[in-house]
Amino acid sequence: MPSHPLRVAVVCSSNQNRSMEAHNILSKRGFDVRSFGTGSHVKLPGPAPDKPNVYDFKTSYEQMYNDLVRKDKELYTQNGILHMLDRNKRIKTRPERFQSCKDHFDLVITCEERVYDQVLEDLSSREQETLQSVHVINVDIQDNHEEATLGAFLICELCQCIQHTDDMENEIDELLQEFEDKSNRPFLHTVCFY
Amino acid sequence: MSSEGDAPHVVDMTTSEKVVELLNQAALLGTEEKLTMLKQVQELIINKDPSLLDNFLDEMIAFQTDKSMEVRKFVIGFIEEACKRDNELLLRLVANLNMLLRDESVNVVKKAILTLTQLYKVTLQWMVRSKAVTERQEACWDMLTQMKGDVLALLDSENDGVRTHAIKFTESLIISLSPRTSDSDVPKRQDADISLDKIPKDHAYIRYDVLCEEGKSALEQLLKFMVHPAISSINLTTALGSLATLARQRPMFMSQVVQAYETLHANLPPTLAKSQVSSVRKNLKIHLVAVLKHPCSLDFQAQIGTLLLDLGMAQSEITRATPVPREPRKRPRHEQYPEGKKIKMEPALMEDDEDKEEPAAASVSKPSPAPAAQSAIDLTAHFLHPLLNPENVANLVLISMVYLPDVMPASFQATYTPVESAGTDAQIKHLARLMATQMTAAGIGPGLEQSRAREGDSKEGLGEDELSQELLIKRKVPMVHGQAISVVGSYGEKQPAIEVPLVKKLPEPILPSTQTKLPGTTGRKKVFRLADVVQPLLESQIEKLTSTAVKRILNSEKTIAQSGMAHIRVRLLSRLVTQFEGTMKEDVLGFILQDIRGRSDLAFSLLYQEYNAYLSQLPEGLLDGYDHCLYTLLSGLQEKPEQRDGLFTKLVLEAPIITESALDVIRRYCEDESRVYLGMTTLKELIVKRPSRQFQYLHVLLDLSSHEKEKVRTTALAFIKRMYEKDQLRDYIEKFALNYMQLLVHPNPPSLLFGADKDTEVAAPWTEETVRQCLFLYLSLLPLNHRLVHELASVYTEAIADIKRSVLRVIEQPIRGMGMNSPDLLLLVETCPKGAETLVTRCLHILTDKVPPSPELVERVRDLYHKRVPDVRFLIPVINGLEKKEVILALPKLIKLNPIVVKEVFNRLLGTQHSEGSASMSPLTPGELLVSLHNIDSTKCDMKAIIKATNLCYGEKNVYTSEVLAVVMQQLMEQNPLPMLLMRTVIQSLSMYPRLGGFVMNILSRLIGKQVWKHPKVWEGFVKCCQRTKPQSFSVLLQLPATQLTSVFDRCPELRDPLLQHVLSFTPHQQAHIAPSVMNALEACDKPEVKPMETPTHPPPIQTHPPPVQTHVVQPIQQTQPDPGTDDPVEEAMDQGGEDMGVQGKPDPTMTQAEVPRQEEAATPPAETTEEEEEEEEEEEEEEPMETADPEPPEVNRPMGDGDGDGDGDGEVEAADGSGAEEAE
Repeated sequence: MPSHPLRVAVVCSSNQNRSMEAHNILSKRGFDVRSFGTGSHVKLPGPAPDKPNVYDFKTSYEQMYNDLVRKDKELYTQNGILHMLDRNKRIKTRPERFQSCKDHFDLVITCEERVYDQVLEDLSSREQETLQSVHVINVDIQDNHEEATLGAFLICELCQCIQHTDDMENEIDELLQEFEDKSNRPFLHTVCFY
Repeated sequence: MSSEGDAPHVVDMTTSEKVVELLNQAALLGTEEKLTMLKQVQELIINKDPSLLDNFLDEMIAFQTDKSMEVRKFVIGFIEEACKRDNELLLRLVANLNMLLRDESVNVVKKAILTLTQLYKVTLQWMVRSKAVTERQEACWDMLTQMKGDVLALLDSENDGVRTHAIKFTESLIISLSPRTSDSDVPKRQDADISLDKIPKDHAYIRYDVLCEEGKSALEQLLKFMVHPAISSINLTTALGSLATLARQRPMFMSQVVQAYETLHANLPPTLAKSQVSSVRKNLKIHLVAVLKHPCSLDFQAQIGTLLLDLGMAQSEITRATPVPREPRKRPRHEQYPEGKKIKMEPALMEDDEDKEEPAAASVSKPSPAPAAQSAIDLTAHFLHPLLNPENVANLVLISMVYLPDVMPASFQATYTPVESAGTDAQIKHLARLMATQMTAAGIGPGLEQSRAREGDSKEGLGEDELSQELLIKRKVPMVHGQAISVVGSYGEKQPAIEVPLVKKLPEPILPSTQTKLPGTTGRKKVFRLADVVQPLLESQIEKLTSTAVKRILNSEKTIAQSGMAHIRVRLLSRLVTQFEGTMKEDVLGFILQDIRGRSDLAFSLLYQEYNAYLSQLPEGLLDGYDHCLYTLLSGLQEKPEQRDGLFTKLVLEAPIITESALDVIRRYCEDESRVYLGMTTLKELIVKRPSRQFQYLHVLLDLSSHEKEKVRTTALAFIKRMYEKDQLRDYIEKFALNYMQLLVHPNPPSLLFGADKDTEVAAPWTEETVRQCLFLYLSLLPLNHRLVHELASVYTEAIADIKRSVLRVIEQPIRGMGMNSPDLLLLVETCPKGAETLVTRCLHILTDKVPPSPELVERVRDLYHKRVPDVRFLIPVINGLEKKEVILALPKLIKLNPIVVKEVFNRLLGTQHSEGSASMSPLTPGELLVSLHNIDSTKCDMKAIIKATNLCYGEKNVYTSEVLAVVMQQLMEQNPLPMLLMRTVIQSLSMYPRLGGFVMNILSRLIGKQVWKHPKVWEGFVKCCQRTKPQSFSVLLQLPATQLTSVFDRCPELRDPLLQHVLSFTPHQQAHIAPSVMNALEACDKPEVKPMETPTHPPPIQTHPPPVQTHVVQPIQQTQPDPGTDDPVEEAMDQGGEDMGVQGKPDPTMTQAEVPRQEEAATPPAETTEEEEEEEEEEEEEEPMETADPEPPEVNRPMGDGDGDGDGDGEVEAADGSGAEEAE
């Protein structure tokens, strides 16, 4: 078992819902966790499916919150976006883009296959230096509040199990197989190197 | 420290002091703090003041034996930093690193590998830089080389993570040990890294060519590692990434990389799980794209493109990733490596075969500059292409069919895409290439043989190290042979058949393949898979083994119990049995049932296990297993006699779910008379404790409430009554009861009542039994909830007559239970639905049967009678509650009813029915009743009915004592007009109580005073009475005026003679008192002329009343009695007096009047006995004051010797009497 706490990154598309939900739970459980998005922009649902609210990663949650309150407080209260942003701003200031983060992790968990692909692409495009390994696991989570919560718990459970392994790299394969059987969903899993 | 210079003393001291302090602290502290301290030290002595590094090196390195692996890892990191800072330190530290590389903790080993990856490059550079290589340096390098070999060997480590790191080390090693070219896509950070091209060929110690070979062999190892069939998904992913890196940084290896990718794609390890297959394919795609993007991919674009298409990438994306071809000078440059090598190699010191090989390779594979492996595949593919005609392909397919695995491997499933362009040249080429890849990988095919032939000589020049590597490479081959799991892989085995001619053409022996078998058998430790070495057993064998195993566990009960591990045995058994199908379950259940008391823990464990199995399969799981288990256990218990320890109850109550069939068993249990109580207690518990399905359980109990066995039924009813008090169950029970009762409105009993035998439904008539069945429950609820009585009334009105009768019979108990104060019952009386009159009457009767009616009830009945249903029968039950007036008013109607009913009425009125003398409650005294009867207006009521009613009274001798009758007679006599039945009553009374004779005589004389002859009926009775009471009545007769006396003799001639004799026996003095007219009348037996003469006769002196006017007397008699006798009801009644009484003693309701006489004979004897008794009584009662007070006794006792002339009349009277007696008999 690695004596230092597992350094975990949870990554979704916009670093709003799924990754933040997991961030929230994991940090409560004492993990060294950070969250990221891989999208080029932060997108939040708008008044219509084709009219999302688009921000860049520099915009803080607070600013987004205020912006949406100004636009249509009722709508965004009702669809839970404001609540989510409120939660997010209490966790950290602004969304972060995975591709811009040069810190190293032991475990990167992505919330959908597209994000997984982007993470892999990013990681393999980086120059290798220390050759430290990072395991990337994809857990498919639908982008809604309920699934995010369920997914966060699944991720949390997964992380706890990994944290408790004696030798993570040797056991992760089997662990994931068990989890697949248990949760009845496939996990993509690979290893990359810093 | 002390050796430090003096000038920067202060600063140095502080830093070094700090270091000392930190180190001292660190030695004592826990891991966390220790690491913090050590990191500070590292910072101080490496970055801040490197001059201190040497001083404190030993102290720092001392921590490499620390207990904590984190500290040891830190030491490794420190070594890396220190060596990078001061390369000279390598001399001292490499040995330490070597030690740590063998650390027991894999994490330390991994860290050591990472560090070695870095330090290898550093050392190489350092070596290259140093012009004069010291011995220590040489030793250091040797050690490093040896460590390098160790790490490469770690590719076979058992630990997945270690292998991963070894792969990365290998990647880095290959890059370092291969020349960088202008095509190389080198990351900036690694720009300064050492590579083969920077190594001088004339180095004092480092030998270029050796390193070059080492690099190549490392690549070979990596490639071979990759095709291992049992490679883990992470290793594979890592290796794929490494190959991509290699291809980009060292494009000279690109063909091998692409080929490896191709091989892998066609032969995904069968051990990968489905999701792992997708992960690997995804990686493969990413890396292929990365390779494709490299400008040197030009020659491989077709192959990469095909692979990417197979991996599901769109053609457009592939095109996007494909670099624009640059000017063709790229290729020559690409060839620079071998050329350059060749050029540079010639001046090299070592004589090498490499240069021989190079031109050969170039000449053979002229179109392709790729290395040997590439050529081999190309050659084989080229060779195969023309052979792939439809016939051969079909044969191949057919042959390979045999080798198809039973189950489709996940990898195949994931990768399979239908062949789109089958038969086209492109596809055949693709196929040929696929096969060539397989064959080359398997170590066969012309291409490989050719290249081997080329390499053959070079092997001799290889060192031992190389040879061992060669072995390592080769031993993978049989693995590929052995696995027939991969579909495509099976081609490889069949291929030789086709190739035979070609092999003969190139007769070189395949030495390596024969050699491979030996090392192949050793295999890797991690490769061992149980499935490979064990034979699957036959189904039947498995079954037999498992069942005998289970039986052994079963039968070892005692042994295990002694060892105290019984609970484990129980758990084991239940788990085993639930997991597997087959007969084991039955065995275990049978075993439990042999001694269920002793094995109940096993029973429960098994049951819970079954339930657990069901739960784990939700939502589509079936309860079958659980159901079967529970059912078998319960049935076993149920069928076992003598189970008193409540195990059945316990099992039921602790079972997580009661299934339908289990409920059936419980029901059966309840139906067993000897266990009904226990069974129903269990059922009750279920109802109370399992609210979710309580109605289901309750239903069973309710069903049992109409069970044919009485004990079952009554127990069920008792339980239901208790349940009925619970609010949540009340409605259901009530509904059930009412539904059941509702069945009574059907013309025939519904099949429901007959349980399972549905056939009996056909028009079976209602029987008492079936009717009761419908009512049991209802009737037991009725006393608890009086409201229900109205339901009964409504059902009752609709039911057929048979059912009505049955209902009236069964309601007694519950109605009595309700009592007459029940508001609902009163309401029922008040509302009395149409058609339910009989029901209401019956209720009234039941209620008042034993106790007098309450005023409320009387009030309701009165209302009902007066306002709604004027049926006098309603009044009967409450008659004692009515007022006297009302009773008298109702009497005429009442006595017209059926004789039994009338009897009932009288019983009530006379209080003869109730044991406790409630006569006082009666509104009428017996005397009043009799008087009232006499006073009934004969126009309102048939005289016969009245007579019968009075007869009923006489029947109650206990009530109508002589005193009562005397009072009645007295009262009647004083009425005016005289009641018609007066004399009948007198006669009757006299016959009942002969000692009343004196009193009667008194009455008679008083009647004379009242001129009784004026009432024809009464008069007639008077005469009859006299006739019956002779000779007592003689004195009375003598009081009559002569006219009336004549009239008497007219009616009763037989009286005259005895009377005359009687008079003649008088003393002359006495005779003087007799009026002459009377004497005339007495003597004028044959002289009709006497009559007129008698008329003026005066009454005798004894007479208290003046003699009546005779003319008046005669006339009425003749007028009112045109036909005297038989038709007159009064007379008839008088005649029948005694006889009626006899009959009354035994009234039979079913008997019509015509039948009465037949019964007389039977009835007579008791009548006689009563008369005898009365005579006895008479003697005893002689002295009673009433008799002595009688004014007439002296006359009665008078001698009656005279009256001879009356013989005829006497005879007549006798005759009359005789006829009466005859009739009576």
